[in-house]
Amino acid sequence: MSTSDSYIPTPTELVEVIDETPTIKTLVLAPAEPMSFKAGQFIQLTLPGVGEGPFTPSSSPSHPERISITILRTGTVTERLHECRPGQVLGLRGPFGKGYPIDKLAGKEVLVVGGGVGLAPLRALILTLLDDLDPIKRMSIRYGARGMEELLFRREYDQWASHAKVDMQVTIDNPQPGWQGPTGVVTTLLKDLDMTLPECTAFVCGPGIMLQFTTQALEAEGLTAEQIYLSMNRRMSCGMGLCGRCNIGKYYLCKDGPDMNYALIKDAPNVF
Amino acid sequence: MTGQYLSRQKLAEALADEQCLWSAAGEQVEVCEMIAGLSEPRSPLSPKGWLYPSLQSVGQYGDGFTSPPAEAPAPRAIIGLRACELAALKYLDKMLLEGQFQEPVYRSRRKSAVLVSTDCAAAAPTCFCTSVGGLPLADDGYDVNLSPVEGGFVVDVASDRGRAWLAAAGLECIPASADQLAQRDRIRRAVTEAVESQNRSTGLEVAQGQSLVLPDDGDPAWQRYAADCVECGACTNICPTCYCFYLYDQALGPGLFERVRTWDSCILGTYHRMAGTTSNMKPTPRPRLRSRLANRVLHKFTYAPQQCGLLGCVGCGRCIEACLGAIDLRQVVGELQP
Ligand SMILES: Cc1cc2nc3c(=O)[nH]c(=O)nc-3n(C[C@H](O)[C@H](O)[C@H](O)COP(=O)(O)OP(=O)(O)OC[C@H]3O[C@@H](n4cnc5c(N)ncnc54)[C@H](O)[C@@H]3O)c2cc1C
Ligand code: SF4
Ligand code: SF4
Ligand code: FES
Repeated sequence: MSTSDSYIPTPTELVEVIDETPTIKTLVLAPAEPMSFKAGQFIQLTLPGVGEGPFTPSSSPSHPERISITILRTGTVTERLHECRPGQVLGLRGPFGKGYPIDKLAGKEVLVVGGGVGLAPLRALILTLLDDLDPIKRMSIRYGARGMEELLFRREYDQWASHAKVDMQVTIDNPQPGWQGPTGVVTTLLKDLDMTLPECTAFVCGPGIMLQFTTQALEAEGLTAEQIYLSMNRRMSCGMGLCGRCNIGKYYLCKDGPDMNYALIKDAPNVF
Repeated sequence: MTGQYLSRQKLAEALADEQCLWSAAGEQVEVCEMIAGLSEPRSPLSPKGWLYPSLQSVGQYGDGFTSPPAEAPAPRAIIGLRACELAALKYLDKMLLEGQFQEPVYRSRRKSAVLVSTDCAAAAPTCFCTSVGGLPLADDGYDVNLSPVEGGFVVDVASDRGRAWLAAAGLECIPASADQLAQRDRIRRAVTEAVESQNRSTGLEVAQGQSLVLPDDGDPAWQRYAADCVECGACTNICPTCYCFYLYDQALGPGLFERVRTWDSCILGTYHRMAGTTSNMKPTPRPRLRSRLANRVLHKFTYAPQQCGLLGCVGCGRCIEACLGAIDLRQVVGELQP
């Protein structure tokens, strides 16, 4: 995509709609030309005439010809995106942002912490690491959702955790009939972490309040701010570091993030 | 080419034939008005309105097609730019053209414009360029600079583009006399001193590129100023360096859509508002007006120097002039800086 027309989305066919949970759907897009992206980079998805919103693909970057966007229904545009049918043409701009610092993870124990739809962007990270587990020491996934029916990508957990280097723990907020696993918010899975803390790098994605409590919990466990990456959400429009609205201090999340090392932003007010 | 002289009469004749824009809002105005304006203080509006229009189609798209925005307008000379406006363009160039992505509308207009600047022969009461590392005279960034002197202008040409414009406009200069050059220097010194003296009491003194340490946008210290703000957005609109925008889509017909870029204002509550209405999602990271006001000032004086090495405020004083709440940026920064 050239830089001159990057305000204008590239027409992209919607080829599949997957009902994930009562509030979340995955839209699978087949761009006319594969759009290569790095895990953690995001795209701007246009519903023609309705509007545009930033979303981080949940699919593996090794399949740029089929990009999955996993979307929580929460407002005007996402409501209408949920009504889309295969065959419809949507628009794509991007990719934008830095992406996860995967090349810095060699020899690390990677802790992935997700809340709700926050597992969507993290799935791209998980799949990327699963593609080649050799460089890292371990990947531990901790995930929480409001209830059983809101657990995202549930059919994939066993497969993820089938690798010797990978483990996964899942919790739902309150007990529910048929649920044998832990209950409570996701931070309850972060007590007494059985990880080698100095070798740990944590990636956190979820609603603002979850980011806040997870960061507190990780710091209480002994992780430093430098070891924590947060997927920060701000209102976005251009995605290109131009429109000015997504700043935390001197950083623009669309350009310097959206995953930010907590050490860079921890002193800014209103971070969460 | 420096130190040439051009009579007022000759300039007026040439401009009458030329497609020129008066720097203020990039409008076409009567030549006599343009010439008179060259000896007046900077105008209330800056050329941002033409170089970076407030509302602009950035292209169309539809079922299976996209089309780029309309071509850039024909090259124009913008007459009467002030040093602060050139400084604003330098800043906008850094922020909008020197990153990974370039702002297409600004780029095409900026590239097509011939910049004809003028020294300030008088200052507005709110001018404070000298407090933010500037001077009321252009020393950089112009194609042609005109320094008003008795009967005409001392002309400096800084680029081939400027030379070509002078030639195309049939403007032939003669060497300036020693008297004319001395007069130019006298006027420059006098206006510089006038700006300095009208700002001495503000205590504001920032070097170009210096990142100020100010209270962060969560600090209640900003409330004193935010209390007078009525959230009108005039300050960001009028500011030659404010460039925040918003993209929206509109339908032109069945299957045909247009994307529009419009100025936005970080002062407004809607600017940062995020999705989600449930209690565990924060609708905006800056719910308080005082945080938004702080963010505007912090961007100019703290973040911009960190981001691009330049202050985001050029001291034109327009936001002070325009503010419905009579908030004086000089006072705000002067009082809050350590
Ligand atoms: C980097 C990043 C990645 C993200 N990744 C994901 C993800 O993978 N999955 C996910 O579910 N969410 C993700 N989000 C959040 C997602 O972008 C928002 O939930 C979504 O944009 C909400 O849009 P909405 O219109 O439905 O919500 P609303 O609350 O209706 O609107 C949000 C804002 O958009 C504006 N807006 C609404 N409609 C229009 C319109 N028609 N035209 C112009 N403006 C309009 C509104 O003014 C409002 O302030 C991500 C956010 C960011 C910043
Ligand atoms: S902040 Fe005010 S004084 Fe500074 S450049 Fe903008 S309008 Fe001019
Ligand atoms: S011009 Fe003054 S009143 Fe209006 S938004 Fe700016 S600071 Fe507030
Ligand atoms: S979304 Fe425009 S600057 Fe980040």
